[in-house]
Amino acid sequence: MTKAVYDYGGDFDPSFDCGKLSNDGLVALLGAYSSYIRKLDGHWYLSAMDRCGDDVAYECDIAVWDKLMKIELKIASEMMNIRGGGVASIAKYFQVSPWFWTFDYRLDLQDSDRLVVTFVKCPTLLSLEQEGLGRERKICRELEQDLFETIAHHFDPRIAVVPIQVPPREGSPDFCCRWEFRVERQG
Amino acid sequence: MMELLYDYSGDFDPSFDHSKLSKEGLVDLLHTYSDYIRRLDGHWYLSVMNRCGNDTAFACDTEVWERLVLYELKIARDLLNIRGDDAVAVAKVFQASPWFWMYRCGIDLKSRDHLIITYTSCPTLFALEREGAGRERQICVDLEMKIFMKMAHFYNPKMKVTALKLPPRSGPDDICCRWEFKIEENK
Repeated sequence: MTKAVYDYGGDFDPSFDCGKLSNDGLVALLGAYSSYIRKLDGHWYLSAMDRCGDDVAYECDIAVWDKLMKIELKIASEMMNIRGGGVASIAKYFQVSPWFWTFDYRLDLQDSDRLVVTFVKCPTLLSLEQEGLGRERKICRELEQDLFETIAHHFDPRIAVVPIQVPPREGSPDFCCRWEFRVERQG
Repeated sequence: MMELLYDYSGDFDPSFDHSKLSKEGLVDLLHTYSDYIRRLDGHWYLSVMNRCGNDTAFACDTEVWERLVLYELKIARDLLNIRGDDAVAVAKVFQASPWFWMYRCGIDLKSRDHLIITYTSCPTLFALEREGAGRERQICVDLEMKIFMKMAHFYNPKMKVTALKLPPRSGPDDICCRWEFKIEENK
């Protein structure tokens, strides 16, 4: 059971808006919206897959995220002033993205040229594993690679994205996937 | 151009989280997330429609929202303590919905059992009007009725939903739509 962050159990307040919530309440609501975004995307995928097949649903997913990723990067750059080359911008982007808020992940900024991101808990992968169709091969390898490259190249075209360990998982690893973002310097 | 909410242009801060934003920043970010949800939904619809046709896209949309609206109601109940069995709860849930903030919408709570909602500005309808394919007949009439019925019956199965005014509009100064939520006790 989620804890209430605002008690709107009394009379109707014509002037109610989310500005009446405390900062903690607003943060909790942002977290709920992050889950909303993930659920909305997931339900659309499954609904399209049921009617048109996985190949078409996957194509739609790519087309949707190609557009949405631009909005997300615009939010990070314009609303949070995250700009500039190097992998630090990517680390910051992960922290502010509504999408990544629903994951449990670790950022290991090793130096200005190298970032390792470990997704410890990923509700999307857990759902795909429960489903058992092996769709994580496409979603977690191909789509994720493309999305991470879009993010990386938005900040710095020199950054290479390398999957260190990606699903399907074998055994019982204590994380879902691990990626490296590395600035490739010429010469 | 989006407004700057937080200046994260300096060094990477491993302890960054959204509680570092000001209250105004959090409210603005919530509004941005609302718009993000609308865009995500819209891009999925168009993507499926372009590949599988409008009938399939509409079927997916209906299925997705019949599920998602329950999540939205759960957020309102658990995080904001919006409960009850009357039209007051529905009025409050409109105020708390991420969708509400993108629309200009009047809430006229006539009594505990009678609510009238009037949309005077709706980005979804405006986009459908620009498209010119007449899809507002499905989206604003059939789908909206299903979603509003779900909302109403979540609080009270006796609550009736009536469309008082629906698209297409007579012109740009016309309202977008008007709905009535009313509990009619058994006589």
